[in-house]
Amino acid sequence: MQTLRLEVQRLPVFLSALRDEGDLFAPVERLAPKDGRSGVYSLERIFDVAQAHPEALRTILPFKKLLLPPRTVLTRARDGAWEDGDELPIRPMIFYGAHACDVHSLKILDLLFLSDFADPYYQRRREQLTVIGYGCIPDDKCFCQSLGTANVDDGFDLFFTPLEGRFMVTVASARGDDLVRRYPVGFEPSTRDDTREYLDRLKRRTEAFTLALDAHDLPYVLELKKDDPVWEELGRKCLCCGSCSMVCPTCTCFNMWDEMPEENCSERLRCWDACLYRDYALVAGGHNFRARRADRVRNRYYHKQEAFVREFGMPSCVGCGRCIENCPTGIHVVEVFQHVRGDA
Amino acid sequence: MSLTQARHPLRHASPRGLPTGENPYLPVPARVLLQSDLVPGVRLYDLRFVDPGLAERFSWVPGQFVMLSMLGVGEAPFSLPSSPTRRGVFQLAIREAGSLTGHLFRHVKEGDVVGIRGPLGNGFPVEKFYGNDLLLVAGGLGMVPLRGLLQFAIDHRERFGRITLLYGARSPEQVLFRGELTGVERRGDAEIHLAVERGTTEPWGGRVGLVTDLLDAASIQVGRTYAVACGPPIFYKHVLDRLVRMGFSKNQVFLSLERRMECGVGKCGHCSVGYTMTCLHGPVVSLWDALNLPELIYT
Repeated sequence: MQTLRLEVQRLPVFLSALRDEGDLFAPVERLAPKDGRSGVYSLERIFDVAQAHPEALRTILPFKKLLLPPRTVLTRARDGAWEDGDELPIRPMIFYGAHACDVHSLKILDLLFLSDFADPYYQRRREQLTVIGYGCIPDDKCFCQSLGTANVDDGFDLFFTPLEGRFMVTVASARGDDLVRRYPVGFEPSTRDDTREYLDRLKRRTEAFTLALDAHDLPYVLELKKDDPVWEELGRKCLCCGSCSMVCPTCTCFNMWDEMPEENCSERLRCWDACLYRDYALVAGGHNFRARRADRVRNRYYHKQEAFVREFGMPSCVGCGRCIENCPTGIHVVEVFQHVRGDA
Repeated sequence: MSLTQARHPLRHASPRGLPTGENPYLPVPARVLLQSDLVPGVRLYDLRFVDPGLAERFSWVPGQFVMLSMLGVGEAPFSLPSSPTRRGVFQLAIREAGSLTGHLFRHVKEGDVVGIRGPLGNGFPVEKFYGNDLLLVAGGLGMVPLRGLLQFAIDHRERFGRITLLYGARSPEQVLFRGELTGVERRGDAEIHLAVERGTTEPWGGRVGLVTDLLDAASIQVGRTYAVACGPPIFYKHVLDRLVRMGFSKNQVFLSLERRMECGVGKCGHCSVGYTMTCLHGPVVSLWDALNLPELIYT
């Protein structure tokens, strides 16, 4: 790892240069009225670097959409022979504006998609992805601090932390090092002043968190509470619309099916799915392993905070707050767990 | 060349490919050599990979399954009812239950090509069974994966002690592999006990009753026996309780789970029970692991 500094006004020069490296993606503000701000951001390809809002805490969809496109042609078959359906080569992508929680979710996706049977469609995109992080300040929906995902020191290529008039720039990969050397727009070694200011900022950021989830021994608490009425209550409130899964940076379930775009040609597609949907665990013959909404809601929470912890030693929730922001009936994940613990 | 070298502090298992290819989603053509009705509504298919090298190389562990693809129709998982000791050709025993199997039954003829990827899942821990007695308990279509294990055990007869199969079906007409099982018993390779829930007009040599009645009647030396059960949820509810009461330790009993699967390689999430991906960490699990899943295996 290497730590550099860059004057604030030099950053757009660097970002503009990066467009030669591949498609540049960043949070972009949506539907902004003329004289105000919508506060709604989505992750889009940008051509004008002034459009980028790297400080935006959460885009509607997380960057998983770059690695696992909502709809992918997996295989194409003609005359009884199946071929890989990907259009190659995959273009290089640069994601500018990743926060610590995003980088942690990327590690979880890598764990799922690059181990056991590596997923070639994910792997190809992952290999073309450059991750440029940006230091954020939490709002009232961020609870990454409770889950140990508020900070990150690997898993990205470059990370820009805003200080007064300059950035502290963390270089965490050879790819990141290539970029700062290829585009010498004014990167300099960082100074002791930078470090001091970084640490002050870190303290302010730590104190800025207002939302906390008590994750201590949560898997066992959940085990004890698996028949708790809270899941029935939640099952009555939840519409099972799947919004929380779609916006979740670590929810990656998908469906597969065949379509025939032309005579004698069949495509196998995969498309995002959610464990909250009614037919998610339905098998041929009609048996549904999670027929009730309460069963499906409970399954989602247990998968993230109990089962995943047992398997990997960490939850598959990074505390980004997207599910809180997007639930149409106001289900609040932190309040759910407070309720389960009997704290609220 | 990889632009980004991902670090995996929690790396779970090294990536691997399938015998049918590095891309685990890509089906490989296999030809239907033979098809025959086992019982009404259930067909046995003999398949062979079109690629002769793969046909000879393709091996599996009893209890594993494959994904069967048909062009433009889709894909579904089916367990392998034959034994890798009888290689070159592999079999599938398929009940017509949904749109994919409906299409298979109506449109696929001998000589046609379907897509296969696999083998998938963990299979039965056969090496653990060596030197011990084997008690196979099947209910209905649960006979399909157990038939592969039975064939395997018979082909390695010297590696096992007593082999007992207890098999319950709805009626005599629903008993799968009936002639074959009679032959196995006649040769003395295994003890076979059948039960049907209701008799018919045809002479029925077996018991009329439930598979649990067979368990009560069987003489099993629990201390030197591994039990393997496979059947529908209601079957598990009764059989597993009975095995535990007979004194079986929960890690001496194995069962095969059924779940909806899309990808078969631990990615799509559909078959997860807790974090147990049925396709990756199953379908075979010990009774201890099954009882510790966050969902009941039977209701």
